[in-house]
Amino acid sequence: MIVLGIESATESVGVSLASSDGVLASVEISRGRRHAESIVPCVQFVCERAEIELAEVGAIAVDVGPGLFTGMRVGIATAKSLAMALGIPMVPMTSLEVLAIGQSTADEIIVPVVDARKSEVFWAMYRRSEQGVDQLNQPTVGPVDDLISDLMARDQPTVCIGDGAHRYRDDITTGFSCVIGDARHPSAADLASEGVRRAIRDETVEERFVEPVYLRQPDAQINWSTRQVRS
Amino acid sequence: MTSQFVVGQDTVILGIETSCDETAAAIVMGGNDVVSSVVSSQIDVHAEFGGVVPEVASRAHLESINPVVRRAIDEAGIDERRIDAIACTVGPGLIGALLVGVSSAKALALAWDVPFVGVNHLEAHLYASFLEDPTLEFPLVVLLVSGGHTMLIEMQDHGEYRLLGRTIDDAAGEAFDKVARYLDLGYPGGPAIDRAANDGNPEAVKFPRAMMDDGLNFSFSGLKTAVVNFVRKNPTVDSVDIAASFQQAVSDVLVHKAMKAAREVGATGVVLGGGVAANSRLRADLQAACAADGIGAFLPGREMCTDNAAMIAAAGWHRLRALGPSRLDIGAFPSMPLVEAGIADG
Ligand SMILES: [Zn+2]
Repeated sequence: MIVLGIESATESVGVSLASSDGVLASVEISRGRRHAESIVPCVQFVCERAEIELAEVGAIAVDVGPGLFTGMRVGIATAKSLAMALGIPMVPMTSLEVLAIGQSTADEIIVPVVDARKSEVFWAMYRRSEQGVDQLNQPTVGPVDDLISDLMARDQPTVCIGDGAHRYRDDITTGFSCVIGDARHPSAADLASEGVRRAIRDETVEERFVEPVYLRQPDAQINWSTRQVRS
Repeated sequence: MTSQFVVGQDTVILGIETSCDETAAAIVMGGNDVVSSVVSSQIDVHAEFGGVVPEVASRAHLESINPVVRRAIDEAGIDERRIDAIACTVGPGLIGALLVGVSSAKALALAWDVPFVGVNHLEAHLYASFLEDPTLEFPLVVLLVSGGHTMLIEMQDHGEYRLLGRTIDDAAGEAFDKVARYLDLGYPGGPAIDRAANDGNPEAVKFPRAMMDDGLNFSFSGLKTAVVNFVRKNPTVDSVDIAASFQQAVSDVLVHKAMKAAREVGATGVVLGGGVAANSRLRADLQAACAADGIGAFLPGREMCTDNAAMIAAAGWHRLRALGPSRLDIGAFPSMPLVEAGIADG
């Protein structure tokens, strides 16, 4: 089973091919934020380097957010259209899940924190398990203070990871004693590898059921002065 | 694959359009044979806000894109392997909305191993006329009127354009939206004014016709202000008469300048494009003026005037034939101009 992973929910963009033998080829770009320009050439690159034809891919794993709306949509649109055109199923995962899966800690609570802009963060809590990670609560969005309250309520050894944990490192470690792990962005290689494990367990879904996880309503304020070109 | 790709009468193109508030896909053969055309409109989603909200539009595009593409293929009754190329709007438009279509189109092109061609949305509006009459002769004057644009363009040949005039403030469609909102006629404004005007007297109020003898540029912000001022002073005048008089003022200016442009360049006819081209007053007035001058009036059907993907596929067919495919590392161009269309070719 070969799985193509597409990751574009944060400022980094990545594409990876994995099989039960492990990661076959992987590319990550954490600079430039040109997600829409990069993804398809990255898919071509990993396929060429790993000498894999797209027709050999058995499932597409994709990060469905939460994250930067435009960035995640570009990845989801690409992944869904690839899956539709190739007639293969998908493995959707949240950005928080992908971050948690990549954290090789044993005992601590894993708390991925993704920058949500506007002084807010997305987060959820995970614990390592036999199958990978168990999610302890629903992903949420809110101010950093809410995250700290959440951490204090659980009051267990914790490692916080993700671009939100790094951006608000001082606030978090002042409010609650915890470790800030190295990982900043969800990794396409982790996404594809976990995609293989789930695809082997038959935990795939049809393309039409894959939906983005926004966790925040659109800012629906009409501002005539900034209204853009309509044609 | 792409180097020996020949574009001909049996070339089947899947067109995709997501630049504003319509998710659309179409199958067009040979550049003008519309085999299927599916448009999923978001009008209901945006009506409560009285205008298009970019983030709301982007979300709706992502929900609709695959089902709309699937339906276009199903309705065409073809096997997807019969598709020779994918054409998609890359600009101008809302960046987040454009990116959904571009991402999806590039993915389909990659998966099916066919060329991808990025299309300028404005250029596609010009091609809507060619869908119905492929024998149109150059030079042509195109009056492109929509919610975002009001332009007069000389089309010298396929892919060769010269901008003759444009609005210096509001687009004509924007004026329709604002006046409709002010008169409480509903959203979108174009069809709302058109309906109301049907029951009104277009000569009830003499609204100003701005810049009539002043080159080929347009101005509509003063007209909107004139409507607001008139209604404040005359609250009892029926809104259908206001709508009809406003619509007549817009139509008079557009037709006057289009005819002037046609005479200046010696055009064989005037082509109408863009969402406002669906307006019945404008269509009737332009047709009469062209007949009087003995030149052609090319008015695409209403469903081809408003945003659709058949026109994208048609423009893509011409672009692919003239310039070849676009690169797979292009993104979207939210303020892409019509002239010197800035698509990276390769
Ligand atoms: Zn348009």
